[in-house]
Amino acid sequence: MSKILKRALKNTIIPAITMIAGKSLGVFVVSAIYGFSLQIGNDINGIFSTQIYFQDREVTQFVNSISDLIMLLSLAVPTMYLIIKTAIFQSASNNPKTIVKVAEFNMLKWITKDDTSFLKIFIWCAFLWIASALVIRNGIQNDTYSWIAILAGGISFITGLGALKTFEVETNKVYPDSKKYY
Amino acid sequence: MRTEKFKKFATFVLEPIAFGLLALLFILPTITVMNLQPITKALNNINVLGVGNKAELKVNIVGGTHQIFSQEKIDEVDGQYTYKTILTRRESDRYSKPIIEIINNKAQETIVEIYGGTQLPTGSDITMIISDQVYRLQAPNGDVTSHKITLIPGQKYIIFLAVETFSDVQFEEDFQLNIKELSF
Repeated sequence: MSKILKRALKNTIIPAITMIAGKSLGVFVVSAIYGFSLQIGNDINGIFSTQIYFQDREVTQFVNSISDLIMLLSLAVPTMYLIIKTAIFQSASNNPKTIVKVAEFNMLKWITKDDTSFLKIFIWCAFLWIASALVIRNGIQNDTYSWIAILAGGISFITGLGALKTFEVETNKVYPDSKKYY
Repeated sequence: MRTEKFKKFATFVLEPIAFGLLALLFILPTITVMNLQPITKALNNINVLGVGNKAELKVNIVGGTHQIFSQEKIDEVDGQYTYKTILTRRESDRYSKPIIEIINNKAQETIVEIYGGTQLPTGSDITMIISDQVYRLQAPNGDVTSHKITLIPGQKYIIFLAVETFSDVQFEEDFQLNIKELSF
């Protein structure tokens, strides 16, 4: 089995768990905090037929919105962290000013080890894009507040740009910019 | 030599499985999150003496995901229930899904009037199935038929919506089903 496939499998498990945990925790924690009575039913047959029911439309929309937001943030925060960390690491290796600034903010740990690969960032981004797509779909169907759907769109766009930048950095390692040497 | 052959064979077998597993690691969370999305449904009324239901007609959406029936919603205004869904693009075939459950908690028989269809005739034959009995809601030419269904007390009925088309449908259609309790 190829190394990249092994690494992809290894890196996919945590965001997959985070996505499910974010959504399910969001539903149950919000229901528990606000004291909403929920019912779990299994009216339709087949796999994945379990449904969570609430009595009021407003409650359903509120719980769905907050759980969508929690899922989105639980994926967005690590993705942003990975992208920023890679960007700082790359910038520090090219620009001494960045090292000084990083030292000022006591973030030297971030630039001492390059353990973040493009593959890892891409996988986290892929999960974030899937989550954003689901949130936007919910927003269109009026099942989630529209501002959360807009936020999802914005986050996925920004992380997309970040992933693209990281990809450029990775390709520059393989095919260095020729201008640097002339 | 044998070990190398075994390694090659194991790689040959394991690689497609690993690809499948990788795809599953993306697909399963997506489906799980879609199913974790809460929906609105009237919950059972519980009183202090135990579990009890009000003597009324209860109409609940079944929910779930389906390739053809999407964005299912049910609204109630003055005792009249309106079920809405979008019938997505589809190939010529017959599709069906349980959409609504009706529970008659009353002590006597109740009659409900059910009718519905798409706004534009699309050549689809739209029927509903209640207790293995088929009722045509909308003929392929667009004619809508209203049905009066008698509900036995204490009985739960699941309404299946079935759509049959003999040619591919390349656009989405808004479908609406109205359920009204007839009073005497």
